[in-house]
Amino acid sequence: MLKSLCRAVGTAVRISTITTSTSRALPLSTTTLCTPSSATSRPFTRSLWMMNNKGASSGYRPKLFSSRVLSPSVSCGCGALHTEGDKAFGDFLSDEIKEERKIQKSKTLPKMSGGWELESNGAEVKLSRSVSGEKIIVTFNVNNSIPPNFEEEAETGQQQQKGEEEQDIVSTPNFVVEVTKQEAAKTSLVFDCHFPEDEIAHGEGEEESDIFAIREVSFQPEGDADWKETSYTLSTDSLDWALYDHLMDFLADRGVDNTFADELMELSTAMEHQEYIKFLEDLGSFVKCK
Amino acid sequence: KTAAVVLRNLQKVVPLRRARLRRDVDTLRHILGVQKFDLGIICVDNRRIQQINKTYRKVNTPTDVLSFPFHEELRPGKLPCPLHRDELNLGDIFLGVEYLMKQCQDNSMDLHSTLTVVTAHGICHLLGYRHETEEEWDEMFQRESYILGEYNRLTGQNLEPLTKKCSQDS
Repeated sequence: MLKSLCRAVGTAVRISTITTSTSRALPLSTTTLCTPSSATSRPFTRSLWMMNNKGASSGYRPKLFSSRVLSPSVSCGCGALHTEGDKAFGDFLSDEIKEERKIQKSKTLPKMSGGWELESNGAEVKLSRSVSGEKIIVTFNVNNSIPPNFEEEAETGQQQQKGEEEQDIVSTPNFVVEVTKQEAAKTSLVFDCHFPEDEIAHGEGEEESDIFAIREVSFQPEGDADWKETSYTLSTDSLDWALYDHLMDFLADRGVDNTFADELMELSTAMEHQEYIKFLEDLGSFVKCK
Repeated sequence: KTAAVVLRNLQKVVPLRRARLRRDVDTLRHILGVQKFDLGIICVDNRRIQQINKTYRKVNTPTDVLSFPFHEELRPGKLPCPLHRDELNLGDIFLGVEYLMKQCQDNSMDLHSTLTVVTAHGICHLLGYRHETEEEWDEMFQRESYILGEYNRLTGQNLEPLTKKCSQDS
């Protein structure tokens, strides 16, 4: 349903871009069904990128892209190429940014409970806290953190009836938890965690995954960005279940539990959205040569 | 491949000790002699268990436990006789941990002890026990009493069976 809608709307956007500023990608109705963190998630509105996948191979070329490429209509004296297409692109981006700002629920990021300190560097995010002599650091990256198969997650009948409404985008990044004990400094116990993809997808009665899961565990040099391949790495694929549960309890004792994972999802969703808007703004400036 | 308890914690309302819950469930399996069977334990909040209760029992309220037997039509107390490895499965028990937490708070009871009692009740349902009639209830109550008596003997605890009468959870 979503795929075909995107195709249809994508085409409409391409045709109407030059003349209208109302060519918003998709309906902005919000659905909160089956999304664990509706507080900061947002409707899917990024047909700009989706349409490139589906519509571009049709062979149809609007005049916008084929005419007068070599005779720029606007000049700002910077020496770079400016086409009518660039202008339309810039206008489109302005509209898109306005719409994205509208659905951005808050300028401030959602708070993580439990006294986590937040640091971010572009798409990279670091959360840290100390618990009686132990340092716990959680890192994740908002890039590629939105599951690609969300459009296939047809949900309950109710959701399907909604038809044209879209599911919210939720960012579910892999995250790494690093636990360092003071007396054992220089070595950290490192947990590679992820949000299993079927977490939101299934109805009741079917087997479902935990909200988050541990994929691998190993000892690594403290604060080392590179994963040392010489360290033995415990994979949880074929692990004794009891050992796995102890590892999960160990993390829960250090504040990494389902509540944390849920809040991390909300935080990552909000940060991803911020970065997306910032990217659109940069793209707009680049295109318009401001 | 050995049989396993598949433990899922799908809620964030109640902090759970997974290792403790698994250990307790393993002790119950051992007492009942069903270690060779898979068993699913899924911990859910009020919203989720109400949804399941509504879907499968047409009762639109949260509850403590819902059991989904893999083998239906079992005679109470008779273990399933599976033909294939895939049938070495007792089924799934949904624990309404938020509901149970509230009950524990109201009655000053320990959550994990209560989870053991409720899981014993759920496993009995998976093994064909019912409590729709007085006779069925007596039969199930006796079985639960036996299981928890053995559990108490092994662990030094003092747990008692669920006492509610004639309300089918399945």
